[in-house]
Amino acid sequence: MGDSAYSFSLTTFSRTGKLLQIEYALNAVANGRTSLGIATKDGVVIATDKKLSSPLVDTDHVHKVEKITPSCGFVFSGVGPDYRVLVRKARKSSQAYLRHYGEAQPVSQLVKQTAGIMQEYTQSGGVRPFGVSLLVAGADADGTPRLYQVDPSGAYFGWKATAIGKNYVNAKNFLEKRYQDDMELEDGIHTALLTLREGFEGEMTSQNIEVGVVRNGVFSVLTPSQIQDYLDEAN
Amino acid sequence: MSRDSNYDHHISIFSPQGRLYQMEYAFKAANSGLTGVAVRGKDSVCVVTQKKVPDRLMQPDSVTHLFALTPKVGCCVTGVMADSKAYVQRARYEAGKWQFDNGYSTPTKVVAKRMADIAQVNTQSASMRPLACMALMIGVDDETGPCVFKVDCAGHYLPFKAAATGPKEQEAMNFLEKKVEDLPEYTQDQVIRCAITCLGSVLGSDFRGSEIEVGTIATTKGKFTVLTEEEIEAHLNSIADDTDA
Repeated sequence: MGDSAYSFSLTTFSRTGKLLQIEYALNAVANGRTSLGIATKDGVVIATDKKLSSPLVDTDHVHKVEKITPSCGFVFSGVGPDYRVLVRKARKSSQAYLRHYGEAQPVSQLVKQTAGIMQEYTQSGGVRPFGVSLLVAGADADGTPRLYQVDPSGAYFGWKATAIGKNYVNAKNFLEKRYQDDMELEDGIHTALLTLREGFEGEMTSQNIEVGVVRNGVFSVLTPSQIQDYLDEAN
Repeated sequence: MSRDSNYDHHISIFSPQGRLYQMEYAFKAANSGLTGVAVRGKDSVCVVTQKKVPDRLMQPDSVTHLFALTPKVGCCVTGVMADSKAYVQRARYEAGKWQFDNGYSTPTKVVAKRMADIAQVNTQSASMRPLACMALMIGVDDETGPCVFKVDCAGHYLPFKAAATGPKEQEAMNFLEKKVEDLPEYTQDQVIRCAITCLGSVLGSDFRGSEIEVGTIATTKGKFTVLTEEEIEAHLNSIADDTDA
């Protein structure tokens, strides 16, 4: 990647030892729409605010939650076009894993690989870091539900519950109060929607949010009518 | 050199606030051209833009912002004209290659996504600046029906029920938002007239047939056609009659 004319890294150390481009990329993430995730003992839920710029946008065909393998999915906060690059690379690399090993790539491996790619873009010549943080929901090789966050620096963390994007501080406080280790998936989905609604500007409907769920080791994106059922319960 | 944060204005690296100035400047350049409006209806879709011939000695038919990317996918590209022409060349190549590789005609959403992904590379890699142009791509998909995609220089692409680009984008979108409930039932004539009326209302002028360009596709079998001056005049007359009646 990058041109030979730019075969030097654009992300370099400042006098105080910081990598400023990465810090700025994190600011770009904090400007993005809120996303959150909760890992429960029998599944994972990830959700995001899908508020779009105009009622003229065809929301049915806009997707922020994307399936990467049958058992794992991504959601993001930050720069949309950068996210698409990561989704494509992750899908390709998990297919290559399947072809090589004959079994589906466990989510922890997928996260490591994706994080490695994001790190490359902080060190390679002529490119800038990705302006997205990812929340990855999946089931590990032994079936345990897992939630990971991957940052623009390439650092990744496993979480019980977390939020990224605009309102992440309030959302994380809310989650800390509500999270319990023995939560079930249905409680998790319910809590995720309540947390999302806390910082939501305007009315939250099944059209302006998106929810992905890992249940029994299978990742799926909820349809608007399924989301509506959960919203009705919450009211 | 990139240690100085002053370079965030020159190449595609993040500013301290997490903004990409090159991308924002590209938007300014892309939106400095003509205004374009695209509308989709029940089974047809159209795109309308101004036709400004800068010099009376110029061949009017060489001045156009409407391009057929494939026989079934059309687009209106506005912004810096040289970048727009390069963009169309690449889009035609990508659409043609996809058709060759996959064996059937390239859907609009595929061209839109591909061009958006290509635009994204220029916002992340320092070697090339983004192309200063915005595209409204239209088509009638075999499975999902009529579609309008707006693809911008930063790599965002979204499907719209109706969209606008250019200096009067905001006013045009406000106009179209009021009609969003009615659009799904519009016939081809209604779609074209809605787009023309929208353009006229935001530019504050009545047109003659030679001052606007209209491109349209009807039904999944239709091809992207650019209307002749007479056909445009017929639509303008019918709009005038409706407003008088």
